[in-house]
Amino acid sequence: MKSIEIGCRPNRRKVLAAVLGSGLATVLPRLVQAAVDGDPAAPAFDGDTILLADRGLFVSDDAGQTWTAAETLGNVLSLATHRDRPGRVVAGLAEGGVSISEDGGASWRIFEARLPDGEITAVAIASRNPDMIYASLRGDGLWKSEDAGATWSLAMDRPWLDHAERELLSLASVELETGMGGIWIYAGTEVGLTRVPDCFCRWQDVQPGNAMDALVAGEAPPSEAPLPGGEPILSLASAPSAPEVMYAALRSGLWASQDGGVIWQKRASKAATAVAVHPRDETYIAALLGGILKISRDGGATWIETGER
Amino acid sequence: MPMNKGPKDRSAKCTVRRSVHLAALVSALATTGVVVLAQSEPVDPRVEGLTFLGEPVLASQVMAGQQLYANNCASCHGASLEGQPDWRRRLDTGRMPAPPHDDSGHTWHHSDRMLFQITKGGVGAVVPGYESDMPAFGEDLTDAEIAAILVYIKSTWPERQREFQAEVSANDTGG
Repeated sequence: MKSIEIGCRPNRRKVLAAVLGSGLATVLPRLVQAAVDGDPAAPAFDGDTILLADRGLFVSDDAGQTWTAAETLGNVLSLATHRDRPGRVVAGLAEGGVSISEDGGASWRIFEARLPDGEITAVAIASRNPDMIYASLRGDGLWKSEDAGATWSLAMDRPWLDHAERELLSLASVELETGMGGIWIYAGTEVGLTRVPDCFCRWQDVQPGNAMDALVAGEAPPSEAPLPGGEPILSLASAPSAPEVMYAALRSGLWASQDGGVIWQKRASKAATAVAVHPRDETYIAALLGGILKISRDGGATWIETGER
Repeated sequence: MPMNKGPKDRSAKCTVRRSVHLAALVSALATTGVVVLAQSEPVDPRVEGLTFLGEPVLASQVMAGQQLYANNCASCHGASLEGQPDWRRRLDTGRMPAPPHDDSGHTWHHSDRMLFQITKGGVGAVVPGYESDMPAFGEDLTDAEIAAILVYIKSTWPERQREFQAEVSANDTGG
């Protein structure tokens, strides 16, 4: 899970030291989590180029067959790119703050007007505005920058789900109309999926578009097949070429939706920790499955492993 | 020998002159009034550039709405529509504070129909299960009074927000 500190992979000595130092109750859940999820890692598509943040940044121009290492300004937990701004890469850092590259990850900068201190668990770029960047700050909420990272302001507190405020583990700007003059921001939390209109009025469940009509008319609600309840949603992606096509990475596997997150189907059974989708092909996805980056060209029906890094 | 015009006689003449002047003034005012009335705007003019649910808005609705807002909404949303302090941060109860209704908030992103539904039926009327401190006003206010409040709120928005919200309302075909 992304809350694990980078460089803290479990081995016997570290486990013993941690247990003695911090106590079983505190440490064990995180170690168990590490065994399930592996280290934090995040893929992204910058055009046809695949980026992978995994204990460093790696770039592939041949669909993951070969990789070259690139520099970053910190430990990257999440990446975001935009179809209309090739080369722009936004990275959320474990140490706090967001770094931005305008040349596909070759160079990076962090603006002085930084976000408040704290781990950036997820980042996203607004589908309709590449200068609008969203970042979720652990223990705090959703922040936004309207000027490509130069300045930041709080957009919305964390969602309230199952009687508690929940961390935003993943974000996706989904270019589906809200009916309020804007589009949706979907978020994965520790306990499930939620979304907020980009006017930031309120977090709410994902519902079929005609759910309200059915409610008013007293008719049976439209069918739904949500993601498994109570499971952390570690990564989310919406296809720029077909925004209603979405992917979600959960420990139970990689899931796909063809209708904006109302009905989900499992596409891979290995634990999935991250997913990204190509900007022009909604069936071309990259996902970390069982800790290995794999590529699918058919929406998750079949997978191939990428090359060594 | 000419009669000596004493003070009493002068006074009587002055009274007559004053009466003539007064009558002339009243007549002139009356004439002017008729002309002004004939040429003036309607008593309850429409508010330029503002509609609600597709209907024109009258100045009297805005005035009534301002008073209704003060009586029913201002205690939470602010006398100047500024909302509660730190309104983007959740309260200890898990609920969100009352947001502003001025252009710094998100009210102008919602259609007329949705604003009316939220005010009348509470937020749960548009987001089932959503918990909010805002009550449903359908029991306490008439539809006309709810509309008047919303019309008042809309009248305070700058042009850009008005135009945006008008477009959202025009595109709102649901329900």
